[in-house]
Amino acid sequence: LSDSLALLCSHGLGRLLGVWLLETLQVRLSSSVVPEFWSGLRQPENELEERDRAGVLLAAFRTLLDRLEPFLGLEKLGLWQEAGRGGLNGPGPRALQDRAFTTIRALLLFSPPAVLQERVLEFYSRTFSVYMNREGGEDGSEAPEGPDGAACPGCAVPAPRCWCQEALEQLQDLSLIRARLQLLEWVSSEAVTSILHRLIEQRMEQHCRGEYERSFLLEFQEQWLELVLGWLGKVFASEGDGDAAETAPSAPGVHGSKPGGSVLKQWRCHMHQFFCRIYVNMRIEELFSIIRFPESKPAIEDLKFCLERTNQRQQLLSSLKSAFESRLLHPDMADSRRINSHIREEESKQSEEEQPPLALSAIILSSEFWPTLKEEKLELPAVVCQAMEAYTRRYEKLKAMRTLSWKPHLGSVTLDVELEDRTLTNLTVSPIQAAIILHFQEKTREDTVRQIVAGLTGDAEACNDLASELSRGDPVTLEMQDSDDEGNDPEDWTPDPTDAVPKLGSKRRSSDIISLLVSIYGSKDIFIDEYRGVLAERLLHQLNYNTAEIRNVELLKLRFGESHMHYCEVMLKVHTSDILTVYISAIKALRELDPSMVILQVACQPIRKYLSWTLEELSVKLGAPKELVHRKLAVWQQHGVLREEAAGRYSVLETGSSREKVDRGVMLIDSDEERDSNTTTQSEQREEKLQLFWAYIQAMLTNLDSMTLERIHSMLRLFVATGPVVTEMDINELDAFLQRKVREHQLIVSTGIYRLP
Amino acid sequence: MKVKIWQWSGVASWSWVANDDNCGICRMPFNGCCPDCKVPGDDCPLVWGQCSHCFHMHCILKWLNSQQVQQQCPMCRQEWKFKE
Repeated sequence: LSDSLALLCSHGLGRLLGVWLLETLQVRLSSSVVPEFWSGLRQPENELEERDRAGVLLAAFRTLLDRLEPFLGLEKLGLWQEAGRGGLNGPGPRALQDRAFTTIRALLLFSPPAVLQERVLEFYSRTFSVYMNREGGEDGSEAPEGPDGAACPGCAVPAPRCWCQEALEQLQDLSLIRARLQLLEWVSSEAVTSILHRLIEQRMEQHCRGEYERSFLLEFQEQWLELVLGWLGKVFASEGDGDAAETAPSAPGVHGSKPGGSVLKQWRCHMHQFFCRIYVNMRIEELFSIIRFPESKPAIEDLKFCLERTNQRQQLLSSLKSAFESRLLHPDMADSRRINSHIREEESKQSEEEQPPLALSAIILSSEFWPTLKEEKLELPAVVCQAMEAYTRRYEKLKAMRTLSWKPHLGSVTLDVELEDRTLTNLTVSPIQAAIILHFQEKTREDTVRQIVAGLTGDAEACNDLASELSRGDPVTLEMQDSDDEGNDPEDWTPDPTDAVPKLGSKRRSSDIISLLVSIYGSKDIFIDEYRGVLAERLLHQLNYNTAEIRNVELLKLRFGESHMHYCEVMLKVHTSDILTVYISAIKALRELDPSMVILQVACQPIRKYLSWTLEELSVKLGAPKELVHRKLAVWQQHGVLREEAAGRYSVLETGSSREKVDRGVMLIDSDEERDSNTTTQSEQREEKLQLFWAYIQAMLTNLDSMTLERIHSMLRLFVATGPVVTEMDINELDAFLQRKVREHQLIVSTGIYRLP
Repeated sequence: MKVKIWQWSGVASWSWVANDDNCGICRMPFNGCCPDCKVPGDDCPLVWGQCSHCFHMHCILKWLNSQQVQQQCPMCRQEWKFKE
């Protein structure tokens, strides 16, 4: 080969020479060198000893170098010659050399089998750990000096067989060979990168995780980086050296004066970047626990620094958000707010129909630690009870083996009250107040419909006005009448012009009480059904047939329409058929004649009557004492929502802005809440405590028959020393208490000695 | 009149569903916590044995750790097994 080269050279065919050289190289590489290299590498497949594998790797590379050495030498020759010719041939010597190496790389690593990566990785990690051990050993912390037989921490084999030194030498060799072939970066960078990444991750895991009170940035930069760079230096510096040795004679300055240095710098950058990224990743994971502000400041500073470099802010935010969501709503953290939001979240996952009817949240108390809360009975509206039950169920699911008991009278309710002519928004009231007002809203008060029907049919003494209202006729006639001129003959009525301002509408609506009632209850069917029931009862119980019923049916027919009253009509017809028509015509005539049936109050008094409650009724309904209800009612009176009428009835003041002020002045006197504390008073607590003592005293006297005051006192101090309620008890106080018991005949005292009766 | 409730904030107190009021070991209420704890509830849970006796978790663990030979329920002397 050398000869032919010389020959060619002598012919001055420098240009051809380059081409030929590359061709030969290619052929030789693909035919023998590459397969040999790979087989050399694969051959010891079944050998398990890592040390040997490392040796094989080295050997393979050595052979590779041997095989290619001539080319490299020759190349040099050619380069020299070409350089000597003053770079006549365009591309120049460097380009040729580059091409040669490119060819080698291309052929060799065209399809690098995994085994090479594996080997290289293994080898590097081994040497790395050896190196780290050596360097790190200086601190003495990482190299535990065990008794003989302990494994060498570097190479993980029993100490006597340690091959750390050997490995390091091998590393040196390998680096040199690769550098010679300019393969170093290609073969090893991947391995080196993964090793370093692993290292940083490990380190981070060991040192930084859970440790927020120290800044690791500096430490990292100063210690680890230096350490790692030392190793990297060993790996790559040889390249630098080799390169320098190689390039120095040929083309000084082309490669730069310190190639190794630049490579290291690059790596340093890379490492730094990588550190930041890993650091941020780790901190993001544990961000939630970092939030402990003053102590964790260093960690946060570090994080800030790294974030600036890694562009992971978005990731951080989303992670923190989900951390908050999962951690704060974690069932293990007993706090009503969290439980509330957890339950709210659960609820929101449900479909529309399953949604609870009420937005209920709760303050959940731990029973032993709160002062004794006043127990007051209060029947809450069904809807609230249901919501509470649902809440309890969810709570029980959330917290196994625990349950909730509600204090219905405690808490607060935010609500709006919408009245005919005004709306009170965002009132915050106590549950009992809310319950009161809800009762006034309750349309389904069982007996109201019956009452209304009774009123309509003229049975209830108090509400003849409804009956007369009914007898006024159908809604259409009614509307005609009440425009402005009430007493006028319907015949004179002329319709409003089509463009009339519809402001009269509301007045009209409110004037037609029955329509209003129907609209309140949503359907006239309720009334019709109720009337059917009433009618059936009456017809079955009254042997005397009452013609009033016919009248009622007829009137209701006018009101609700013939078809709706059909059933009732049939029911009546079963009894009589002939007199019916006679009466009906008579009644019709009568109605037209009697003006008193037509002229009626326009105000909606009757409705209020049926939507009103007495204090007693409310108190029963709410299961709360009357005084309390009365006290709480005052708020609604102040707001002008409710009004006290005669006979202690309360009703809704639909349109009352004008009167409101007057009422308010009165009501303010009744303003309550003055002693509305929810915890038991001190005297009550005292009483409770004394009751506890009494139990002890009774037990003592049962056992010991009789005791003096001093004895009782000292015994009590001995036994009743713990517990949240019990405080020091004065002997005078005890004396007074015992005297009281004596007066109540629960205790007998004679000559200073107490005994049970 | 229409009443629209925006928010009903109720008050409730929680309690363990236990068949007794006090822990048989520390004699403190179940709804309170064992003498070593400050906060009841999740921080000081109750555990049930298969014998259906229940204790503050910390109390029964302390008891079980102090038993050299056999792990028995301090109430009924049956072998202590945690109920799932």
